[in-house]
Amino acid sequence: MPNWNNINAKHLLSRALFGFKQSDLNTALLYKSVDDFVDKELLKENPIPSPPGIWVSETPVPDNGTIDGQRYRGLNYWWFELMLKEKLSVREKMVLFLHNHFTSQRSVVSYPQHMYDQQVLFRKYAFGNLRQLTKEITINPAMLIYLNGRGSRSKNAVPNENYAREVMELFTLGVGNYTENDIKEAAKTFAGWQVIGLESKFDVNRVSTENKTILGKTGNFTYDQTIDLLFEQASCAPFICRKIYKEFVSNQIDEEFVKKMAKVLKDNDFNLKPLLSFLFKSDEFYNINVIGSKIKSPSELMIGSLKVLDFKNLAIKYDDVNNSDYAYIYDQSKILQQQLFEPPNVAGWPGQRDWISSTTFAYRSGFSDSIVNGKKINGAKIAFKLNAIDYARTFQNSENAVKFIDEITDIFYQLPLSIIKKKILLDTLLEGTVTENYSTYVPMAELRLQKLFKAMMRLPEYQLG
Amino acid sequence: MKRHEFLRQMGLLSGGTILSMGGIQLRAMPANHFKVNIEETDGKILVILQLQGGNDGLNTIIPIEDPKYYSARASVNIKKEATLKLNNTLGMHPSMVGIKNLYDAGKLSIIQNVGYEQPDRSHFRSTDIWLSASDAKQQVFDGWVGRYLESQNPSYPATLPSDPMAIQLGSVESMLLQGKFGSLGTVFEDPNLFYQLVSGSKVDNDPPPNTVAGEELKFLRQIAATSIQYSEEIKNKADLGKNSQTYPNTNLGRQLSIVAKLISGGLNTPVYLTTLNGFDTHANQLTAHTNLLKQVSEAVSIFQKDLETLGLADKVTLVTISEFGRRLKENGTSGTDHGTAAPLFVIGNSVRGGIIGSNPNLSILDSSGDFKYEFDYRQIYTSILQDHFGTDSALSKEILFKSFSKLPIYKTSEKIAGGSKTIDISQNYPNPASEITNFNYFTTLNQGIKIKIIDLVGREVAILKDEMHIAGTYSVPFNASNLPPGIYAYNIMASNGEQKSLKMVVSR
Repeated sequence: MPNWNNINAKHLLSRALFGFKQSDLNTALLYKSVDDFVDKELLKENPIPSPPGIWVSETPVPDNGTIDGQRYRGLNYWWFELMLKEKLSVREKMVLFLHNHFTSQRSVVSYPQHMYDQQVLFRKYAFGNLRQLTKEITINPAMLIYLNGRGSRSKNAVPNENYAREVMELFTLGVGNYTENDIKEAAKTFAGWQVIGLESKFDVNRVSTENKTILGKTGNFTYDQTIDLLFEQASCAPFICRKIYKEFVSNQIDEEFVKKMAKVLKDNDFNLKPLLSFLFKSDEFYNINVIGSKIKSPSELMIGSLKVLDFKNLAIKYDDVNNSDYAYIYDQSKILQQQLFEPPNVAGWPGQRDWISSTTFAYRSGFSDSIVNGKKINGAKIAFKLNAIDYARTFQNSENAVKFIDEITDIFYQLPLSIIKKKILLDTLLEGTVTENYSTYVPMAELRLQKLFKAMMRLPEYQLG
Repeated sequence: MKRHEFLRQMGLLSGGTILSMGGIQLRAMPANHFKVNIEETDGKILVILQLQGGNDGLNTIIPIEDPKYYSARASVNIKKEATLKLNNTLGMHPSMVGIKNLYDAGKLSIIQNVGYEQPDRSHFRSTDIWLSASDAKQQVFDGWVGRYLESQNPSYPATLPSDPMAIQLGSVESMLLQGKFGSLGTVFEDPNLFYQLVSGSKVDNDPPPNTVAGEELKFLRQIAATSIQYSEEIKNKADLGKNSQTYPNTNLGRQLSIVAKLISGGLNTPVYLTTLNGFDTHANQLTAHTNLLKQVSEAVSIFQKDLETLGLADKVTLVTISEFGRRLKENGTSGTDHGTAAPLFVIGNSVRGGIIGSNPNLSILDSSGDFKYEFDYRQIYTSILQDHFGTDSALSKEILFKSFSKLPIYKTSEKIAGGSKTIDISQNYPNPASEITNFNYFTTLNQGIKIKIIDLVGREVAILKDEMHIAGTYSVPFNASNLPPGIYAYNIMASNGEQKSLKMVVSR
């Protein structure tokens, strides 16, 4: 069983949460073992959050662009806050995983009500049964709109193949585990649905009643029987476990371990909770080779930076979305290429190195600078700013420059920093004076601390979780 | 900063010793400032426009006389009268006025039915195939442009050229620009903002740990170092450069205006990648597709005009790519599903212009209902590499893993191909033929051309052409249904005595 120590706890928190701060780590380490922490905190069932507004149950109105745009902003802010206040639960990470697995794009779906409904589904099944979730997502209004199930007919008509292809290629089996003919046949069983108001409605007269042959079986299958057929395939559990492994462990797949994960998933009838429990308690998860190897997603970077710098309360302002404290986070999420509810395409965000290009790397530094400075790169103010002195004094060793650097870098990075690099950071903080003369009470301490925090977050090491 | 210092700080170079990257031993070079080899590429620049999602070729270049097109697409069709007529049987989408003007001016080559064997209909897989230049069943993890750039910059990554080897407008780096040692591209949206954001970062020199995390750290440092190296140069060249035209205020318009500015500012970057998303038109296609093609046409034609006004058009060529075309038969939601082959555009002063290839053969469909490709997409890459960038055939074979025959896209095509060749004919399409099959050929001189079909014992069974031709690219159809199944040969002969013969199979 993995040791429950500082390194392993940091690793688990960094992967299972959107970042963490010193007090989160302290709380986690109060538990006596990995098992204890995973069972009692990480996988604890939490109450379902209340919605961002009563609009979520309003019947969608076409050409409601301005109001829908504001609602989408509110929906983003709502989720950011759930991430910021997630405490020690892996649920929000799983919700984002499911959003990135069963993708839908708001620009296609258009109505925020539908995207909210899909979120409700993801939160309900975050630790739940994946087969059942797949059945429900198949006829979920947002998905019916996004992958063109809406209006598709198979009785005396050519059904739309879009959902049938993507459910096999991206949601359950992976390329190479089905044929073009399986897609055509399955598309017939996914036909017949419409989206009316907030609901999906089925019309039996729009579906062909002839037998379909899908993945070697023949019958007059319904849509949920087709999903059952997909989950019976040998390729299904490993395909899903590979994606979960990529999300939480490493993008360099350990196929042997994925096999073990797949067995756990299958043995537990595709329930996610036992799989997550197995994963987070396994020695493989804490392998020294994978610690610190994940490139943070923009959400992890942004929310994690807010957390580690101890920003607690940001004002949402649902009725004045442009002046929300989260408005800046929302704008940055687009620039850093992870606008929630708007993955780039049906395959979702590929993650890891795809997050980083010369431009997004530069934007990441611009972001971390800005929350320390309280202003954007162009000089415009943002709604919140770090109080560098107060923040520094939350550390035990705030008045001893050398020990302070040791203490603060331990919480900022998964990989230990070299002595040389700590020296560079120390020089940034001291700016020419000697250690003995440094304290948070010296003139210019605020500026020096700001410089230090900016330099710390500009190091490539800060991008690794 | 000196190159060697810069590289040492990247952790890639350690004082003239031998270092190993990805298992390959490299001798670290002494500091060696060199530019992208401008003699090698003759200063030529390639701009790639990637149409993401699978552009519907049949509604881009429309077979206006083919009743099968109109019967398969009762609602998702473009009326014959509405199209911009290219010839008696083909029309261009009505929203592409700017590109049609380029066609009329001989600055657009349209290559019909571009695809590949065993087509994959997954967006992601097929995009990888196009960008990596692989066969359908071959997994390759770097891009063909990345491999080309590495061949031109043999001491990369030990030394970096003074200007970026490739620039991508956007945010998420494409596989196209990946090489063996990582990315060869610099990615940004706006030169000034990019420069501002990068200033303040430093490169560093810690040895990365020997773990997966260490590999990722190395990657991050390399990106950071490239940005620091190039952001100032890019900003300076953008400041020096100018646009002579006002671009449309669209996504693609902005991208191409920056490309033109950087070229006119004198940036020695041979490859630019621009992208436009949204071509996955499964539902309510007509309006969406019209808007997309309009955006492409407006931006691309202004770009060409800008380059011409600035006197830069001779060295630039623009090519459009898309992962696949779309199915002949429309689906039940006023859209089209994933298909296979589609036409592709090559634009510039240096192209011959005209249409290469036949009209899509809508009678012979595969089991999914898609028509067959006529040209492998790598034939276009081969033409670009050899006739635009001037690489030799051995190098283009190395980059593309195989030899592909070139197409007469560029004015220089035939010179490079074989000295004084003035005619060529390509493999008939489709082959084997059962009904209509097409023969594509060109002549670079005004001369008489005769094309005949002969059987195995040398008897003439048909004469397809025997008349004077003006220099240009041609296509002639032939109905093979009257010929007994078997093997035949066809022969093209010019009045200057040149000739060429190829085999054709007739089957039922």
